[in-house]
Amino acid sequence: MATIKIDGREIPFEQGDTIIRAAHRAGIDIPHYCWHPGLSVAANCRMCLVEVLPPPGRPALSLDILRWDAGKDAYVPDKKPKLLPACQQACAPSMEVLSESSPHVDEARAAVQELLLLNHPVDCPICDQAGECRLQDYWLEHQRKGKRMHQEIVHKPKGVVFGPTIVYDAERCIVCTRCVRVTAELAKDPVLSIRERGNLGEVTVSPGRQLDNDYTLMTEHVCPVGALTSSDFRFKARVWFLRSARTICQGCATGCNAFLDYDPRDNKPYRHRPRENLAVNKYWMCDDGMLSYGRAVEGRLLSALVGGDEAGIDDALAAAKDQLKGHGNDPSKVAIVLSAQHSNEDNFALVTLAKTFLGAGDFYLSGRPLGRGDDILMSEDKNPNTRGVMQIASTTPPRPIAELLEAVDAGEYQYVIALGSELEVDGAQAHQALSKLKGVVTIAAHDGSLARAAHIALPACSWAEVDGTYVNRQGIAQQSERALRPRGDSRPGWELVARLARALGYAMDWKKLADVHRAMAPEASARAFSEPPPAPGPGKGQNAEHSA
Amino acid sequence: MEALDRDIEDGELELPSEPMMLNMGPSHPAMHGTVRIVLELSGETIQKADVQIGYLHRGFEKMCERGNWTQVFPYADRLNYVSPMLNNVGFSLAVEKMLGVTVPERCQYYRVVLGELARICDHLICSGAMAMELGAFTPFLYFARAREIIWDIFEEETGARVTHSFGRIGGMAKEPSRFLKDMVRAGVPRVVKMVEEGEKLLLKNRIFLDRVEGVGAISADDALALGWTGVCLRSTGVPYDVRRSHPYMTYDRMEFDVPVGTAGDNFDRFMCRQEEIRQSARIIDQALDQMPDSGPVNIDDPRIVLPPKEEVYTTIEGTIQHFKIVMEGIKVPAGECYSYTEAGNGELGFYLVSDGSGTPFRVRVRPPCFASVAGLQQLITGLMIPDVIPTFGSLNMIGGECDH
Repeated sequence: MATIKIDGREIPFEQGDTIIRAAHRAGIDIPHYCWHPGLSVAANCRMCLVEVLPPPGRPALSLDILRWDAGKDAYVPDKKPKLLPACQQACAPSMEVLSESSPHVDEARAAVQELLLLNHPVDCPICDQAGECRLQDYWLEHQRKGKRMHQEIVHKPKGVVFGPTIVYDAERCIVCTRCVRVTAELAKDPVLSIRERGNLGEVTVSPGRQLDNDYTLMTEHVCPVGALTSSDFRFKARVWFLRSARTICQGCATGCNAFLDYDPRDNKPYRHRPRENLAVNKYWMCDDGMLSYGRAVEGRLLSALVGGDEAGIDDALAAAKDQLKGHGNDPSKVAIVLSAQHSNEDNFALVTLAKTFLGAGDFYLSGRPLGRGDDILMSEDKNPNTRGVMQIASTTPPRPIAELLEAVDAGEYQYVIALGSELEVDGAQAHQALSKLKGVVTIAAHDGSLARAAHIALPACSWAEVDGTYVNRQGIAQQSERALRPRGDSRPGWELVARLARALGYAMDWKKLADVHRAMAPEASARAFSEPPPAPGPGKGQNAEHSA
Repeated sequence: MEALDRDIEDGELELPSEPMMLNMGPSHPAMHGTVRIVLELSGETIQKADVQIGYLHRGFEKMCERGNWTQVFPYADRLNYVSPMLNNVGFSLAVEKMLGVTVPERCQYYRVVLGELARICDHLICSGAMAMELGAFTPFLYFARAREIIWDIFEEETGARVTHSFGRIGGMAKEPSRFLKDMVRAGVPRVVKMVEEGEKLLLKNRIFLDRVEGVGAISADDALALGWTGVCLRSTGVPYDVRRSHPYMTYDRMEFDVPVGTAGDNFDRFMCRQEEIRQSARIIDQALDQMPDSGPVNIDDPRIVLPPKEEVYTTIEGTIQHFKIVMEGIKVPAGECYSYTEAGNGELGFYLVSDGSGTPFRVRVRPPCFASVAGLQQLITGLMIPDVIPTFGSLNMIGGECDH
């Protein structure tokens, strides 16, 4: 394979690679603001300038300059090499690039940094980006001096509302155009643009429009500074207090890889960030997914319900044993409802209980109804694990919930054991149908129509509180990491299934997640992460494209 | 009336008795800080002694692993809280050794001056407290009054009298005040005069001399085997002083003597301290003469030293510099180092491990008096209970640094 040399280190490149992309792949960080691996090249920030040595026998491109000579107290003529932006310069075989090792590059980066901070307001203490801001990182790495301009800085609009999700601060903006390119290239809705030039330049929304497509939060995500802020996260948390867990977005069947940033002190989630996975979501997530982190703690079922009244889990299990009395006489009277909202582990536990211990063979599937999709990331199927459930119960394919209600009306069942809380059918109808049965037990993370229709509901952990595997629409099994401590009385779904089984007198002795994984087919449980998660602490957070 | 025991032999007077167990401390006025000595007595003679430390253990080495490197200074202050400035300087030098930086000359002299002032305080309090516990309250007042002069100087320089937290990695919290040289030049001779007056009250006093001379003696070999350093070691005749043996900062430019004893007893330890006070005064005098009146105190590296406060509030560069240092800490290169200085009690060592982040991976302290206290049992076995007081006093055990 053809190679180039960066600071003497040889790295391979593929046809069409730019220097920065080859370096990025080899783990070499060339400082940059405007370049993003998922966007087109703009080459406007000039931070990635490098020195490319001429081919042997050819003269170097050089510029005549005047350099200040302190000894002579005058400018003297000098030469310096013409530097090239690494994000735009294509690799050629045996090319030699100087990045860290060239004093000219050092000087250029310091100068770029000085210019970018020339009119920057003293905002770090009130800026959401502080702690994960490129301006902060690169100042210490590449400039380390005060600026030489002492005039009042150019003031520009602050707190400009771009749309329902984004607030813009023009003073902090370095006009790198990453957000402009996101709207044009990712969202295919070119609603942002740059107006004016030089130190008056700022991002602006098309007249008569708002920034209101499905990918507005990606403009904030790619912003290397604190110019674009999300109205949802604005002033909510300081990033150095947050920790990150590698989770899977629960918004739809796409299964975007995400970081769930949470504060371990108050056990609350604060935001989603996309996690790079070129096979699934590349670098991106949709707005619905970005804002769905709150569901980890909102609308939760936090204690067991027996006939609508709160109860302890042990009491609820005793009540379940009572209600399900007699199920063993005729297993065909038991219907099992799996959930496309729950992980493979939870569903596998329920399938095992049904097939191995109860002898029940009638499976149904609960989940959220279909929604809006697009051809970028959003799926119409709003459940994260439909495919996983179908694989687990492949020998007895689950049927839609509407058929369960019909069968209940027809008197085919007396008992229902269910997972999940949401139904794609009318809640009142379900409630009426299920109320006729002897025993209806559900294990649910959230308070939904199924949880309310059930006679007994057991509180399960949400996806953020437990490790789990989810299979996306492409059939990729992905691991989601635990972020938060379980709220209220909630316990992992598979554990509640096992406890219910034990309460009914069956020997289902799973105590740890590893017990479940041992029993499962290996392809149904994604391999656990071998490396510790990267802390989003200062300087690491926004640079998601580096950490993945 | 005739004595009843007229015909009885001397030996028969002895009553058969069990050895008596006696707890000294941990709450006892003469057990500096909190230390407990379990004594097994035969009459008043100590047959066995079990010295138990740890009553002041706060886990500061572990606490250091929570904050960033700069946040260790308040903990370092509270090691030997009788001479916090020496600990500050010791820790600064250790981190600077890892960073591979050297502070400007002016700062080195400043550290020498403040450090030697702290050493004088340390010795004054040890000698004064030891005398007081032997009943000589007046000399203690002389010495405490002398310390007051130094504390006033510290207050003027650092804003705090006891725990200053004045050291910084790469410099000091502030530059020397305009009055430093005048204050010290006026103050130190007064201190020395008071020390001499206090000393005169003791050195002709039979009670004091009888209780310290020849009491609690140790040989040079034993002291070395125990890992003793500082005054306790020098009193046995071993001239080991880190300032002379492994000079740091500007000590190699100073003329001073390393006083040593001959017997290694309480009296030698007392006298060595008294002499070191005078030697410290000599060093201070020279350092003040050599110290430049202007020039930088802190090194010029924005990755290590905080910007001036007014720049933090008015410029973005200052804000960023402040933010990076305060929120992320000074990035110390991955590695480990052992750095040691002559503190009030002897060799104060810091063994540091860094993983390259802004937070210490491990901070291990070698407190000089830990080794000294380890020898206490040997010193007092065979002595009488009253001898424990001056012997323990002369070792200058400081719970803050001993218990770690």
